[in-house]
Amino acid sequence: GGADDRGKAWKRFISYKGEAGIPKEAESLRIHIDRRNQTVVLPINGFAVPFHVNTLKTVSKSDEGDFTYLRINFQVPGSLAGKKEDAPFEDPDATFIKSFSYRSTDGHRFDNLNKQIQELKKEANKREQEKREMAD
Amino acid sequence: MTTQFEGIYHGLGTDVGELRLATIGLGWKSVTTGSQVTVAASDIKYVQWLRVARNFQLRIILKDNRRRETFDGFQREDHEKISHVVKQHYNVILETKDVSLKGWNWGALDVQGSDLAFLVSNKTAFEVPLSQISNSNIVGKTEVSLEFAALEKKNPSTPSASKRKDADDELDEDGEH
Repeated sequence: GGADDRGKAWKRFISYKGEAGIPKEAESLRIHIDRRNQTVVLPINGFAVPFHVNTLKTVSKSDEGDFTYLRINFQVPGSLAGKKEDAPFEDPDATFIKSFSYRSTDGHRFDNLNKQIQELKKEANKREQEKREMAD
Repeated sequence: MTTQFEGIYHGLGTDVGELRLATIGLGWKSVTTGSQVTVAASDIKYVQWLRVARNFQLRIILKDNRRRETFDGFQREDHEKISHVVKQHYNVILETKDVSLKGWNWGALDVQGSDLAFLVSNKTAFEVPLSQISNSNIVGKTEVSLEFAALEKKNPSTPSASKRKDADDELDEDGEH
């Protein structure tokens, strides 16, 4: 129906409009949560690679021996098939990054990052929910 | 005439150093360990400028087998000076490589020389040297997972990064869909 389709249009989002937007903390080559821009900045081979909260699906942490692993899962086509909250995609045929895993010996830091990312996602979901209620 | 820049990193190293550009070539020297890297002017094929995590990178692509040396830590306003110096000393144009900062997780994978690049809206989001991929697996029909070698393996002269409390976050795996 019309109402359903209207809610499923892909809405454009962007982390940074220009390179000047990259937070200073990215210089440390460590994962940084940029709440103001709703973005997780990942260090990948010297690049600061932003991922907007809208691309995030879940995050999890696990401990194995001396290392702690942080796994960040992203929204990809097919993963929410048929569900009401099905996220629309700008280009479902593109190549998608499904997840990134990082490891560290600093379990405390990764525990903290895990919580921060979950909080970021929760806040975004809440805002989305509020918007939907306003629209109804 | 020599032009000097301070607060510059070589490759992914964490040592801060000075980079000097002279007619005969360029040289970087760590201010902490004194270790040095030099490139002869005659070995330079072309040079690029791009935004990375540690501000801007000067990338020197060498004639020999597309090998390269990278230097991070330049400021935006260094562009003009470097552009001028490389033209004058090495007769090359400083190319700007556009980087995507959109925050999207979709785009295209492309093998570019000895790198695997992920492009978002035709701009580079990141590159990983193919030599750093230590393992790859096909998962199901539409997925591939890549594992990356930990950095410290390539750099035996420094204490194992994984044992340090301030270790950089290491990228371990990347699933592509």
